[in-house]
Amino acid sequence: MSILLEVKDLHSYYGGICALDGVSLHINQGEITSIIGSNGAGKSTLMRTIAGDKAINSGEILLEGEALPVNVHQVAAKGISLVPEGRRIFPALTVRENLILGTCANSNYKKAMQETYEEVLTLFPILKKRLHQSGGTLSGGEQQMLAIGRALMAHPKLLCLDEPSLGLAPIIIDEVFDKIQQLNRDTGLTVLLVEQNAYLALDVAHHAYVLNTGHITLEGTGAELADNESVQDEYLGIRR
Amino acid sequence: MATFFQQFITSLSVGGLYALLAVGYALIYSVFDFTNFAFGAVMMVSAFAGYFATEFGVGTLPAMLAAIAAGVLLSVVVELTAYRPMRKKNASRLFLMISAMGVNIFVTNLFLCLFGANLRTLPTGLSSNTIPLGSVQVGAIDLVALIVSLTALLILWGFLYKSRPGITVRASAIDMNTAGLMGINVNRVSLIVFVISGITAAIAGMFFGMKYTVYPAMGTISNKAFIASVIGGLGSLPGAVLGGFILGVLETLVSGYISATYRDFFSFLVMILVLMFMPNGLMGIGNQDKL
Repeated sequence: MSILLEVKDLHSYYGGICALDGVSLHINQGEITSIIGSNGAGKSTLMRTIAGDKAINSGEILLEGEALPVNVHQVAAKGISLVPEGRRIFPALTVRENLILGTCANSNYKKAMQETYEEVLTLFPILKKRLHQSGGTLSGGEQQMLAIGRALMAHPKLLCLDEPSLGLAPIIIDEVFDKIQQLNRDTGLTVLLVEQNAYLALDVAHHAYVLNTGHITLEGTGAELADNESVQDEYLGIRR
Repeated sequence: MATFFQQFITSLSVGGLYALLAVGYALIYSVFDFTNFAFGAVMMVSAFAGYFATEFGVGTLPAMLAAIAAGVLLSVVVELTAYRPMRKKNASRLFLMISAMGVNIFVTNLFLCLFGANLRTLPTGLSSNTIPLGSVQVGAIDLVALIVSLTALLILWGFLYKSRPGITVRASAIDMNTAGLMGINVNRVSLIVFVISGITAAIAGMFFGMKYTVYPAMGTISNKAFIASVIGGLGSLPGAVLGGFILGVLETLVSGYISATYRDFFSFLVMILVLMFMPNGLMGIGNQDKL
């Protein structure tokens, strides 16, 4: 199994405050990798740094063995798509326009508009009914699907999802996670998932990490971590 | 009735030019959240470029192209030298605006030193000053200005709403950070909006030069367009067009039927009334402070 993305001794600061204090991890090609951790553990910072949205203070991030470019739009063009926390779709633009924007990171956008566009609409049929509606009128679940669909339009090598369950009804969360697993299974898409909902995140993960105040404290397969006593105690709320 | 019709055509033509200029302000405000006060200087320099082109003996259309080239060039140079380095250092938008005012004062005074304060006449290139429209005569340059500004606004609308680069501009205006995550190069978007605003300034500058005269301080006309974009709602493009026409119609009718002395009084009165009851302007959204 080959490694798609490797993070080596990553440090990241907000002003003088240390958010990531020497994080190292790797993401295998074709797997779902989850990172769990509590509020303020540095999950979103890690995600933003990988996507190029936040500068690296020290350490390195290698995609297929190559260092990532500095500017966020170049990172996107290299094949890392982030579905940001809180979805961040463009509310005043139509669903179709939101999807078109997803292709900006794609060197072959004409092909993306023909093929990937149809694939995304097949994966999320609800979007097809809403194509000419503005994104802001969509429900939370539909917006999350639009945000994922928009990221897929870039035809990414790595899909990063930051808290995809945030603010969604449980039944919608199940649907979103089913789609993520389906994508991974059917197309071999590599997924990096950051979640507060540790139960869900470990359930779908091939490999998982626990991030605690800027450090990786545990790693293993999803099932291993779900069985781990300290994880159960701290993140899954199981007490014996 | 005939007088009113003439006045109305004139007012629409002034309104169209205000609308073009207001859109230039609104476009940059919508993406970068600051008012580009160097806009007046861009308009003035374009008009001068058009004037010098006609001095060389070229026709009105090539002169217009020269004006557009000058407007685009200056607009982009100002962005690259005065704004982009500041944005890179995360300067507050207040300082960007002060930088813009500095550019405006600098360029205006540079032209004053180089060419003096004389009023220069820009030939319209039209064979007659008036065109008969039914039973009345309307100003030929007014009619041409109205047609050209409406066409330019229509092309701009098509670009922003139907083309791919246009959609990236609108997305950047909504959320620049997420636009970057989508792979949109924000620096490219900035070039697009400054090129467009250079074009709008040049077209308006040429027509104001033909209607009135070309002189270094003519950039102050664009302050009216700024008022128009405030009335319409800063950062809103449809608002800028609406505000431009409201202001153009109001000014011309006040000049025609009350007195030209009270023209600016009414413009500012309308702005104050709109802001009193609709602090975000007629079509503005959000309630962030306006700079």
